[in-house]
Amino acid sequence: MLLLPQALVDGLLIGGIYITIAIGFSLAYGVMHIIDFAVGEWIMLGAFLGLYLSQWTQMEPLLLLPVVFIVFGVLGYLFQPVIYRVLSGKKGNPLLMALVFTFGLAIAFKGLGLTVFGFFSRSIPSAMAANSFTFVKGDFFVTIPVIRLIGLVYAIGVTLVLSWILKRTDFGLAIQALAQNKEAAGLMGISAKKTNSWVYGIYVGISAMSGVLIGCMFSISAQMGSKYTVLSFFVVVLAGMGFLAGVPWAAFLLGMVQSFFLIYFDPGYTLLAVFIILYTVLLISPKGLFGKGV
Amino acid sequence: MTVLQLASVSAGYGDTRVLWDVDLEVEKGRIVALLGANGAGKTTTLKTICGLLPATQGRLYYNGNEITGLPVHEMVNLGLALIPEGRQLFGKMTVEENLIIGSFLKRAKAKRAKNLAWVYELFPALANRKNQSAETLSGGEQQMVAIGRGLMQNPDLIMFDEPSLGLAPLLVQEMFRVIEELHRRGLTIFLVEQNVHQTLRIADFCYVIENGRIVQKGTGKELAANASIREAYLGI
Repeated sequence: MLLLPQALVDGLLIGGIYITIAIGFSLAYGVMHIIDFAVGEWIMLGAFLGLYLSQWTQMEPLLLLPVVFIVFGVLGYLFQPVIYRVLSGKKGNPLLMALVFTFGLAIAFKGLGLTVFGFFSRSIPSAMAANSFTFVKGDFFVTIPVIRLIGLVYAIGVTLVLSWILKRTDFGLAIQALAQNKEAAGLMGISAKKTNSWVYGIYVGISAMSGVLIGCMFSISAQMGSKYTVLSFFVVVLAGMGFLAGVPWAAFLLGMVQSFFLIYFDPGYTLLAVFIILYTVLLISPKGLFGKGV
Repeated sequence: MTVLQLASVSAGYGDTRVLWDVDLEVEKGRIVALLGANGAGKTTTLKTICGLLPATQGRLYYNGNEITGLPVHEMVNLGLALIPEGRQLFGKMTVEENLIIGSFLKRAKAKRAKNLAWVYELFPALANRKNQSAETLSGGEQQMVAIGRGLMQNPDLIMFDEPSLGLAPLLVQEMFRVIEELHRRGLTIFLVEQNVHQTLRIADFCYVIENGRIVQKGTGKELAANASIREAYLGI
């Protein structure tokens, strides 16, 4: 019982990280219907850019987040036409081809990472990483590391900004229109190519920023990508493929499961528990927690 | 003045050729109709005009400028709007969001407020349902949203793909009334229909399409008066 408040808070904080790695992925899937297996690699590349930038400029890595976003946003924007070409192929099964394509991309990025960054684990030194808040009330106590709290605030911030864009701007309406009916969106004058490029840029930018945050909390290595791809995929499937509003709830659910398992059961079985939850939910509701996925 | 011109246009899906040398003209301020049975190539003609389907042969002109091969989002930017068959609304978006996205283009954005007010005036039923998601509307109301969304594009030429399809008789009357009203406001209209009676009544000029070829053309009265045409192509 004494650890209950800590378990709840940890669940929220872990959930925050899950949001950051899954929200962009969900957006990209919702609009382009592409399962991007390179999501974890974008996170890895973003983390290393954050690391090198902060070493070079001697600046607090968290202040460099906008730079990382812009660099990878532009990269994603420029890179998207290649994926678009695969996706709009006439022969065979373009969606499957795109899946294979991003899988290959992931392997290429990992290889590139191993060559350039080396094999060893690193961490991004942040001034925020050392501090934490501790609350004590009677026998109960809760510790909140500052950097984790920043991660949660960042996750909620990104979610709010994205939903504001989707609901309140013409660009956001265009994204929704494109996701729901590509042909009709074209009739409204929405260019699928251009809009997809923007969406992919935003997604890659968000993922790269998340990499920097992760690097401030945990260690990073050239091989970290596949782990985050799997986790990101879990969250998005649980939320319902492409259902953006479900991502925070799915992320918090998985975060809670993980934190309760860590504290009350065997930490070694945490991932197993996450798997079981995912399978159970999918058996009952194949379209995710809310039944609103694709 | 000719707004839209098709000069021996052919098109198809994959290896299947659907349109064969279609020649067609739409004059400014007119209601021009394209009549034909199911599978005659009516929707294909519209898709080819909008750039949703590439023309394999022939040329298309809009206000005298060649538009062959332009992608759909550039076509509509020239001032042509298509109200597609089966409404094609954005079902999960609200009625108002559907209308607003109609004015996504720069040429329509400035007139958004004015056109929105006009659409609600034309279809008062939509004003009451503006915050409802489009997929919850009845077929007739969805057709109103589709037309309203097209009007929000501030078009010069508006093309209808079987607007009366699947509507109750009273709503069909209403749809034709709306089309005539738009015509009175100066819009050029290209109407693709199976409802021969109503179409011949309001159209200034008609084309009849069969197996992807234009087989007859003339004013509504001429076609309606010609017994052999009535029998062979129009089924009345």
